[in-house]
Amino acid sequence: MSAGAASGQSDGAARRTVQRDVLCPFCGLGCDDLEVEVQGRAVRALRACAEAARLLARADEPPPPCRVEGRPVPFEAAVAAAAGHLSASRAIAFAGLGADMEGLGGLYDLAMAAGASLDHAASGGLFANLDRLARKGWIAATLAEVANRCDLMVVLGPDPTAAFPRFFERALPAPSAVASDAAAPMFVDRTRRRRVAVLGGTLSAAGRRALAPHDVAEIALDGATLPAAASALALALKGGTLGQAGLPGEIAAALSELAGLLAQSRYAVFTWDAARLAPADAALVAEAAAEAVAAASRTTRAAVFPLGGRDNVVGAHQLALWRFGWPLRTQVGPGGARHAPDLYATRAALADADLLLHASALRPDAPPAFARGPVIALGHAQTVFPREPDVFIPVGTPGVDHAGHVFRMDQVVCLPLAGLRPAALASLAEAARAIRAALGGTP
Amino acid sequence: MSGAAASGASTSGAAASGASTSGAAASGASTSGAPRTRIAGGRIYDPANGVADQVGDLLIADGRIIADAPPASGETRIDAAGMVVMAGGIDLHSHIAGGKVNLARLLMSEDRAAFPEPEGAFCGCGGGRAAPTTHQTGCLYAQMGYTAVFEPAVVGANARHAHLEMADIPNLDTGGFLVLGNDDFLLRLIAEGEGQQAVNDYVAWMLKATQCCAVKIVNPGGISAFKFNARALDLDEAGPFYGLAPRRILATLQRAVTELGVPHPIHLHGCNLGVPGNVSTTLATIGATEGFPLHLTHVQFHAYGTEGDRRFSSGAAEIAAAVNANPHVSVDVGQVIFGQTVTASADLMAQYRNHRLAHPNKWIGMDIECDAACGVVPFQYRDQSFVNALQWAIGLELFLLIEDPWRVYLTTDHPNGGPFTSYPHLIRLLMDKDFRDHHLGRIHKAARAHTRLLEIRREYTLEEIAVVTRAAPARTLGLKDRGHLGPGARADVVLYRDAADREAMFAAPHLVLKDGVEVVRDGAVTALRGGRTYAVHAPCDPMMDKRLEHWFDAAIGLKAKHFRIADGEIRGGAGPTLVELSP
Repeated sequence: MSAGAASGQSDGAARRTVQRDVLCPFCGLGCDDLEVEVQGRAVRALRACAEAARLLARADEPPPPCRVEGRPVPFEAAVAAAAGHLSASRAIAFAGLGADMEGLGGLYDLAMAAGASLDHAASGGLFANLDRLARKGWIAATLAEVANRCDLMVVLGPDPTAAFPRFFERALPAPSAVASDAAAPMFVDRTRRRRVAVLGGTLSAAGRRALAPHDVAEIALDGATLPAAASALALALKGGTLGQAGLPGEIAAALSELAGLLAQSRYAVFTWDAARLAPADAALVAEAAAEAVAAASRTTRAAVFPLGGRDNVVGAHQLALWRFGWPLRTQVGPGGARHAPDLYATRAALADADLLLHASALRPDAPPAFARGPVIALGHAQTVFPREPDVFIPVGTPGVDHAGHVFRMDQVVCLPLAGLRPAALASLAEAARAIRAALGGTP
Repeated sequence: MSGAAASGASTSGAAASGASTSGAAASGASTSGAPRTRIAGGRIYDPANGVADQVGDLLIADGRIIADAPPASGETRIDAAGMVVMAGGIDLHSHIAGGKVNLARLLMSEDRAAFPEPEGAFCGCGGGRAAPTTHQTGCLYAQMGYTAVFEPAVVGANARHAHLEMADIPNLDTGGFLVLGNDDFLLRLIAEGEGQQAVNDYVAWMLKATQCCAVKIVNPGGISAFKFNARALDLDEAGPFYGLAPRRILATLQRAVTELGVPHPIHLHGCNLGVPGNVSTTLATIGATEGFPLHLTHVQFHAYGTEGDRRFSSGAAEIAAAVNANPHVSVDVGQVIFGQTVTASADLMAQYRNHRLAHPNKWIGMDIECDAACGVVPFQYRDQSFVNALQWAIGLELFLLIEDPWRVYLTTDHPNGGPFTSYPHLIRLLMDKDFRDHHLGRIHKAARAHTRLLEIRREYTLEEIAVVTRAAPARTLGLKDRGHLGPGARADVVLYRDAADREAMFAAPHLVLKDGVEVVRDGAVTALRGGRTYAVHAPCDPMMDKRLEHWFDAAIGLKAKHFRIADGEIRGGAGPTLVELSP
């Protein structure tokens, strides 16, 4: 739980420390080997992908105050104002939800007390995948299984590198020089290169670099053809013929060859980022991947590895399931819980809501546009608001200002974040608890 | 509604160490000045202390039973005249928390919709019966008089998640059993002949890192073998890659927990779960124990023969005879209850076989982190199915033919054999032969012809129920201050109105006290209290830290320090309650 080996160096006025093995909560890949320099309140990443470096960076400055109607107020006054708005509202939408498990726990308690719908800003891809997972299920693998077993990876859609810069490096590490070493990949044939087939967009230069140790085939498709191509591949694995799929000849031929390789592979993995596909296409791609795995599993092993998990959307989903028995897009409050994805997806919920509570502790995302009633923002200190919210309570960032827990994208591994610098703001959990106490519920 | 959530996940990582030791305040001396509660004149069933149906008082102070003393002014008096008084129930095998349970919730939307929590002051906005939400789980168990429930399949990689869920369950103390026996680090250690001490150090490291209180093996070597595409693995068959037979993995881990002093023996989900003919595997497993204690879990699923036209028969008599003859072997039954449920197991090899029987037709499988796996398959047990009906009968035969109640624990392997809410019904099946025969008369006719159930006259007594639901599970888990009502025991006390209908009696106790405080009255929840989490911390050579640092870095891609769960992460900083080692 400690932030890792911190080597202190006296460097001018404020003590400079370098913290190693820092956990990253942002994209969902859960990298935990970051290095960060902290001096005073300033934070600068020394070893991190560009996105993590951007989201970890902090200036050496005091945090902003709470604001009500644009005016600085003490924390207690902002809490009272938030509670006042909540008790005066009848149709409340909680959105954003980019937070650690502790913050989410506080928000869900608050939602139960006030009556509110819950959705996460990054739940679009998750729900496209749930269309398959909750309805029919699938066989999946976690990151270490992929790293150690995958001998053929099928990427459906655009290069994951843009959203998950270290995905290929972590999922498909190159074999170590020593054959007996207990290092990933432990269970793939070292005499052959791992295969990667990319169906969809072309790889970026960074993606190609990360895949250099492997045997990569890019099957160029336009976005519109991807669902049909993925379905055709699944059909081929079930023993159907690709000729009936209506695909261009060269694509059908490439898919046919891939189906042959899949049948011979020992542990194939299908991966896609549903958030970067059109929702209907994403659901079809998830369906095709799950069907392909089911077909392959009759004779060999295979699994899906769906990409996603930004800002702990997986944790928000898990907590909703164990608390309420439903995924996100659920309304909770007096009278129980009601799960209606069409009604409680943020966009739909805001069409009927009279109050928006937007929580974003992990990144400075402004609330979605909303003009039907008050906006309460429990947000990142650096948030720039296009329209000043009625109440703004700046909160600390888990993994920067305080400890917390987030889930990795594979839904299994939950990670312990540590604070990098002394907290100067309430955590989201503390803010939510204070508002709930002000509402009259149990603190 | 407000105030309903038990605790929420409160800020963790606050306290570096909040570990306390179980049984610390076990002196039983009357604490001067503390408010006392007297449960007066009840019929006490406390088999751990040799008490059966004795009328007497129980005196409580500071959440514990204290030595009886003359009534004093200021005491709170609870009139228990005519009531049956027992310690709080303990379920040592019920899948209540963690990733596979959450996947079960995801699949069981019909179950969730059909059983919402009742509205009111103690509603947690949850529901479900086969895969209930955390809040619902705590409430439903407490309403039956249970105050401690153990999650028997914590996969190391998912342990933090399991603990977050357990912290959200009100009114129950909990603990997790760590799944080992398919984890690549262990299999590698054994295959490379590293020796018992290295295994012991690893097991100790893992127990502490995952904050678990016992070790479970699920299909030893079989989950790993399935990852290499093996579809079956028998007890003496060498598995792929490591070349290890399950027998060797089992023996190595049995020795490890014994030498470390972990109170509960290896909790074994054996090879060939659900496969007709697996009775021979189970008998061979009992024969392989080499005198080390062994717990066979959900043994009903491992007691199938291949006799008869349908090549499916009861092996209960043979298993019961073997258990009766081997005093170091204990079992829980995993009784099947007819109706809709969901099966959730780390045994993906078995669940892959079973997924064709899914009802409704959906299922999820997962290979997990060079550690284990999981498979979640909804299932409906039908009394008009020959196989399901015989499974039901086999479970009851095991309960009734195993003579020593101290070595049988009452479970349905919730939710795998049926939801835990069926326990009162199961208790009546055990206690009431007429009731049992009535139900026997309703099952598939051919199955009736294949069971000896009708000839078995045994009826469990109240004392035996107190053993199989309280005293025995506490003893095997090493919980010295639980499962009994002697001085020093935690004041988890249940008062039942005696009734001929044992199902009604055990479904709605008159009063349930948790740590001396009322949480249920007349079958309804009246308060929510936080629970505690039991863990076993055994010493290990610091060299194991170095080895695992390297392993996690190079093989897993996650730092060992981030895998390891700090004491302060348990229950929002409260830390685990440590179970004493029994060397």
